[in-house]
Amino acid sequence: MGTTTDWNVPSHVPPERVVDFDLFDIPPGLKDPAEKWHRLVQSDVPRIFWSPRNGGHWTFLDYEDIREGYRNYEVFSNRDTPIPPVDNWPVFQPQSVDPPDHAKFRNLLAPLFTPNAIKNMEGNVRTRSRELIDKFVDHGRCDFVRDFSGILPTGLFIDLMGMDALRLIEFMKLADTFMRVDTPEDKVRNVADIYAVLEQSLAQRKSAPLGNDIMSVLLRAREPDGSPFPHEEVINCMFLLFVAGLDTVTSTMTYIWRYLARNPDARSYIRENLDNRSRLNVAIDELFRINAVANIYRRIARDVVYKGVEMKTDEKVVLPNGVANRDPSVFDDPDTIDLDRRINTYVTFGLGPHRCIGSHLAKAEVIIALQQWLPRIPEFHIDESQPIDIFAGPVMGFRTLPLVWG
Amino acid sequence: MKVRVDLEVCQGHARCQEICPQVFATDDLEGKCVILSEEVPPEHAQDAMLAVRNCPEGALSCSDD
Repeated sequence: MGTTTDWNVPSHVPPERVVDFDLFDIPPGLKDPAEKWHRLVQSDVPRIFWSPRNGGHWTFLDYEDIREGYRNYEVFSNRDTPIPPVDNWPVFQPQSVDPPDHAKFRNLLAPLFTPNAIKNMEGNVRTRSRELIDKFVDHGRCDFVRDFSGILPTGLFIDLMGMDALRLIEFMKLADTFMRVDTPEDKVRNVADIYAVLEQSLAQRKSAPLGNDIMSVLLRAREPDGSPFPHEEVINCMFLLFVAGLDTVTSTMTYIWRYLARNPDARSYIRENLDNRSRLNVAIDELFRINAVANIYRRIARDVVYKGVEMKTDEKVVLPNGVANRDPSVFDDPDTIDLDRRINTYVTFGLGPHRCIGSHLAKAEVIIALQQWLPRIPEFHIDESQPIDIFAGPVMGFRTLPLVWG
Repeated sequence: MKVRVDLEVCQGHARCQEICPQVFATDDLEGKCVILSEEVPPEHAQDAMLAVRNCPEGALSCSDD
């Protein structure tokens, strides 16, 4: 994702609300991309500000406003949200469609992602996690992204979609490229490659008896007039599911393992409570609060004055989850990581009608991966001699995380 | 203590089910909240209250009547 140099300050934006903040920029020496948000919040900028970078956009910093951005879809729309703006941006059902129309795909997919449905996938998550650990446990080191967090979500995506398991390697390469490319040309080529494989998989799925996987559900779905869903909508939805469950889960896991590698007390606390589901859930929720990787986009749907700030149709808004999750008016002692935090209304999975549909799968992946990892690799550290490559933007994270143990 | 859910507001985070599965469950269509026991047994009142306070959408409420 490139950074545009266009400097855009519309005339209705008051100068005191303009802050030179680049969503994608990595300041020199930065080791954690979330850190740039913490610095921004501490630097006393307006809680609603305009950044002239990347085509120009608003950013909300208060929990209350981020919550409003998620829930008030009549003002804060999901359609045409990319930053910087992209012409002819495709519609990705159900994510980039506002209620009530988003129900068409959302209601179709929702039964596959309920907590009860995800329970049926736990065995599969366990097997895939264990097999990945088997490959490097005796080596005393791994690159956590390359060898674990970058692979697990892709394997589960293939299973959930009803794709041929033989395509795993192919998809892993595409996923790896997706998360590493920098130039717009490479990005376009990578996206085209992903679409080509999705097209092949869908054609292949059509030729076999349908089941309960996502492709089957999409192929069986009918419009009110009895016709199948339009091909373009189906394939865009598949692309969305591939991308949405990929870098977000990979980044969140990598953040969590990085935190555990640096905090022996947290490591042993979680290990002691791996079988205590209620304590484990509370701890995992705290890890999700403090390791929120997504900065979500919305578009102003109509001219509005929000909290005294004039906003115009089609202006973009960024909702940084990690900032909401550390709002002192909502969270006691927000910068302290308390694995026994009792009240924790974090927004890592968003709020409102577009609440991350895969949230229960993401949680299961983290919980099961920890249950498989910690008994076998209870002590591990970051290999500080290796460079660690980080990225910022709508998803923040690490392209590498060298871990050592034993 | 009684608990109630506003299903227009619930978005299926399932935090209530995780915190107090004796009182809260989720449905198989949308994953939204299902209250198993509107009248909360006293031994689960504390957890049920915690579930209400942890709903990120504010979809749950409780009362003493």
